[in-house]
Amino acid sequence: MSLTIPDDSPAEPFLDVPSMLHGSAVARRAPVNRLVLLLAGVLIAFMIIGSKGSSHLRQPLQWLTLLGVVGVLGAGAWASTAAVHRRRREQQALDDVEELIQLRQWEPAAQRVEALLGVPSTSPRFRAQALLELAAILMRYERFEDAIAVHTHLLENEPLDDASSYVIRMSRAMAMLREDHLLDADRAIADLKRRSAGNVSGLQALIELYRDVKTGHAAEALELIDERLPLIRKQMGHRVADAHALHARALDMLDRKEEAAAAFERATLLAPAGELLRRYPDLRPMFDRYTPAPAPAEAA
Amino acid sequence: MISAENAIRVLRRDLTVASAVKFALSGAAVICLLCGPLIGEGLPLIIALVVIAGIWLVLNYRSMRSSVMAVDPPRLIAQGQFDQAEEQIEQVIRGFSFYRTVKLTGLHQLAILRHAQRQWGESATLCRGLLRQRLGTLDRMAQSSRLILIDNLLELDDVYGAYAAILDLYTQRLSLQEAMDLLAVQLDYESRIQAWGAMMHHVAGKVQLCELMPAPAAARAQAMLALAARHTGQLDWVDWLAKRATLLGDIDALVTDRPALKEVFS
Repeated sequence: MSLTIPDDSPAEPFLDVPSMLHGSAVARRAPVNRLVLLLAGVLIAFMIIGSKGSSHLRQPLQWLTLLGVVGVLGAGAWASTAAVHRRRREQQALDDVEELIQLRQWEPAAQRVEALLGVPSTSPRFRAQALLELAAILMRYERFEDAIAVHTHLLENEPLDDASSYVIRMSRAMAMLREDHLLDADRAIADLKRRSAGNVSGLQALIELYRDVKTGHAAEALELIDERLPLIRKQMGHRVADAHALHARALDMLDRKEEAAAAFERATLLAPAGELLRRYPDLRPMFDRYTPAPAPAEAA
Repeated sequence: MISAENAIRVLRRDLTVASAVKFALSGAAVICLLCGPLIGEGLPLIIALVVIAGIWLVLNYRSMRSSVMAVDPPRLIAQGQFDQAEEQIEQVIRGFSFYRTVKLTGLHQLAILRHAQRQWGESATLCRGLLRQRLGTLDRMAQSSRLILIDNLLELDDVYGAYAAILDLYTQRLSLQEAMDLLAVQLDYESRIQAWGAMMHHVAGKVQLCELMPAPAAARAQAMLALAARHTGQLDWVDWLAKRATLLGDIDALVTDRPALKEVFS
């Protein structure tokens, strides 16, 4: 069976990763905050002059001080509100990109994330989230070296909590496997195992499975799938199709053809064959040997 | 255990009290500032301002503590630690807070907890109580409450109430997650009123949305679509969807929860 991977790559080069990594930054304190501080300073000066000045100046200065207090409080409130609105807009933009990625609308997602990273961010957390979304898009366009560069930049330069760091390391390990950096991937997976301390996630299990299949360790892959398939299903939903596809490949490598055909059918029931091939080009031999599960014409 | 009616009563009272306290403290501070230039500087005014600021700081601190208490319950509910979640939620609801959002979040979390505990009536009452409040910019909370309300009403066999709530949601802008949740409850509703044709309308798009759901929800939604396909004679869909549901979820649990699905898997 010959299968082509649909080419949805954009016509022109885009996503200049080095400039996005080093050009974007977190916004400095807004000029309005400096203005508020300046007003506060003037106010304090008025208060001091008012308390020490002659009696005919005292009252006007006290009124001015009162006006100043109101002005400073008003400016402070306005600055806070403006900052909150900016952050909300940026969070909404990031949520929109995440939705586009989930809906597999890669080009609009890429355009939006490029726009987001082209302006200073309101917080380091938002910038890290935008970079993570950029890495996911790069993986989709098979720019794995660029994706690894983004992951490494995030791990080395951005303040991350343990959970985010773990997710980024997993994504980086997957990119390494796709780019055939097997030694680096093996080290990264060993590091993940140490960090997870027994609390293995579905994605980590899938990465370990892919590593075993890619390096020809079919028997180890089969042991892993028996142990981890329920976890992958529970945590990854339809992406359990990837585990079934890798399972089929492991069985195929051990010449267990009938079981391989059954696992391949399960995989292609849950995900289109072309999509599985795009994610795991190593599975190509199976696509020539086994038939994908039939799907209704509308669903194909 | 705090009842739904009691929680709503406490919320209304506390929101009123918090507004009154904020107004009183702000008003007192403004009066002190205005009085300063009129009656000249004086120690009493400074003391008054310090006292007002002190009260504000103490109440603000208590409000922030409530905010912190409101962070954990979703995780505890997801992990099935209902007693701990209940304890923290009750502290948020009963504690004083300047922040309206915190009190509303507490009520919302209680609705989610009751829903997880399968106390559909209590959860529905809480959702309705929350939706009657001014939610302002809390769109996500409002949509989430509506979705939980629909599920509660379906479990209580109130299909008319569920229909009204579903219609309400169609007037709102939904996020992707909310659209998935709406699809799940809508399929449940349509299966109860046997609107098989409507369920199969744009089925390919619905299936694509199901593929983004967590495994149990995806299994249930696709099983329902398989049931609809069976009733509309689209047998290619029946087989395909039923097999997918089998790979994604526990069929025995599905059929126990929704006995109508038995004919799909028999």
